[in-house]
Amino acid sequence: MNPVAAFFRPNAWRVFRRNLYAWQKYAWSSVAINIVEPFAYFLALGFGLGAYITFSGYGSLVQFMAPGFLGLTALNTATFDAAWGCYERRVTSGVYESMVTAPVDPMEIAAGEYLWEAFRSMLYGTLFLAVITGFGLVHSWWALCCPLVLALAGIVCAIPALLVSFVVKTQEHLFYYFSFVATPMVMISGVFFPLDKFPHWALVIAWLTPLYHAVNVFRALVMGTVGTGTLWELLWLFCAIIVLAFAPVVPVRTKLAT
Amino acid sequence: MCAYSPVVSARALTKRYGQTQAVRGIDFSIPAGECFGFLGVNGAGKTTTMKMIYCRIARTSGDLLVLGRDPARDAVAIKQRLGVVAQENDIDPELTVLENLLLYASFFGIGGAQARRRATELLDLLSLTGKERAQVKEISGGMKRRLVIARALVNDPEILVLDEPTTGLDPQARLLVWEKLGALREAGLTLLLTTHYMEEAARLCNRVAIIDEGRILALGTPFELIERFAAADVLELIDAADASALHEQLDGLVVRRERHGDTQYLFCRDSRELLRRLRDLGFDPPRHVARHATLEDVFLNLTGRELVE
Ligand SMILES: Nc1ncnc2c1ncn2[C@@H]1O[C@H](COP(=O)(O)OP(=O)(O)OP(=O)(O)O)[C@@H](O)[C@H]1O
Ligand SMILES: [Mg+2]
Repeated sequence: MNPVAAFFRPNAWRVFRRNLYAWQKYAWSSVAINIVEPFAYFLALGFGLGAYITFSGYGSLVQFMAPGFLGLTALNTATFDAAWGCYERRVTSGVYESMVTAPVDPMEIAAGEYLWEAFRSMLYGTLFLAVITGFGLVHSWWALCCPLVLALAGIVCAIPALLVSFVVKTQEHLFYYFSFVATPMVMISGVFFPLDKFPHWALVIAWLTPLYHAVNVFRALVMGTVGTGTLWELLWLFCAIIVLAFAPVVPVRTKLAT
Repeated sequence: MCAYSPVVSARALTKRYGQTQAVRGIDFSIPAGECFGFLGVNGAGKTTTMKMIYCRIARTSGDLLVLGRDPARDAVAIKQRLGVVAQENDIDPELTVLENLLLYASFFGIGGAQARRRATELLDLLSLTGKERAQVKEISGGMKRRLVIARALVNDPEILVLDEPTTGLDPQARLLVWEKLGALREAGLTLLLTTHYMEEAARLCNRVAIIDEGRILALGTPFELIERFAAADVLELIDAADASALHEQLDGLVVRRERHGDTQYLFCRDSRELLRRLRDLGFDPPRHVARHATLEDVFLNLTGRELVE
């Protein structure tokens, strides 16, 4: 089955609902974990370190980081669950194993997981948006579009993480993905500081990562600087989802259908 | 009558995992309404065969038709009409008993009130009523097994495939599962099962295949197999002197002899008569068991006891 078409199949939403059923049982602790930690970083860096720093053309550090942290929240929530969670559901708890004895296509499982990560990213990101709104860091009604962009960012971050969860031999190997891919991506995506002073080659790498584009969109929405550039960033994210969706096809099929 | 007879048929079916040849060319066909069992030692290839039938793994070569369709092409259509109890319990540990059934039903397009009704019926059928809201982590192994069986029935399947349905259950739980499976068979459901319990096979199965190292060694009704590979009765001589010297004088009463460790197995028409004859000949075993032969004898004769002659 085509991995993009799988998004539109009822079974993808049933896989999503499975995760929702499971999540409901620990929803409060999950919300707390996913909000308190980024918020603690945000406060410490924004107001502690931020007392010493302003970026010319961007204002205070806390103002700069506020939209960046929307991207960071999307990346963290989606990456963590798509890597650890999907590994457990595939290997440890036999969740996928039972799904494929029913008439569920492996690509529908993958699509259901992406939809689930979109939901998580949207939920936790929107809570963070509410917090920064409370701090007076949101300057435009365009910010109401953030949840949709959070969903896109969640999907685009979930795809490579799910792919990795299907190819690693042990769960510990997932740390390689966090250390060598996810964390460096945060550093070059304009979450904490502007990239103006980066060398050209570093900007090229940044341009190739989805988080960079997501953060640009969040910044435009929060600051009210939406323009045609924002549309191009969104288009990049859409195309990335469609292209990336094909990457896990072979490992997912191999593990669940042969 | 069902439109498909047989409902499952395999010809020269093989499966290789890398270097391991797990199934080496097996043939069988199963008519609708039959209960068919696979018996075999660990690693014989039972699970591999079942997985090919329930479309979990692709075959390496040979022909396989399930409900008239080829798993290589129509897996989804086949799965829609199959119930599967895998060897490992794959009940979702993060969901409740009821959520497990409702979710699984949804994959077959069964939802809402219909799914709830079906779930309630099945919990009742497998004596799990009252456990709807229990977390799967909290229920016992026997209950989990029954829940997997209940789940396999949500789509009202035409074939129920069970890979070791009662391994690890206590005797009461096993009897309960046998009773339920027996009732399903009576209701006309085709059952396909693997087991290590000969009694289970003898009780439930119309026919059994004994499989070893990926090949079918024997296939038939339990009665036929006992006739062919054992005899009506068996006299077990434990710690006795070797009785083979008396063979000539027993007038062919013994049709087959096997030895396993300290025990000699003399297969015969009538074990009491044989014992009487042995005693007449002055051969008095210190300990003995005279009994009817069972499928277990067939199984051991075919797969494991050292053959004496
Ligand atoms: N995924 C796999 N990869 C490689 N080899 C496998 C795999 N699954 C099974 N095998 C091998 O195939 C052979 C048959 O295994 P199978 O699981 O079918 O046996 P079984 O009859 O079900 O045994 P048991 O009674 O222990 O369940 C064994 O040698 C096993 O090691
Ligand atoms: Mg097995």
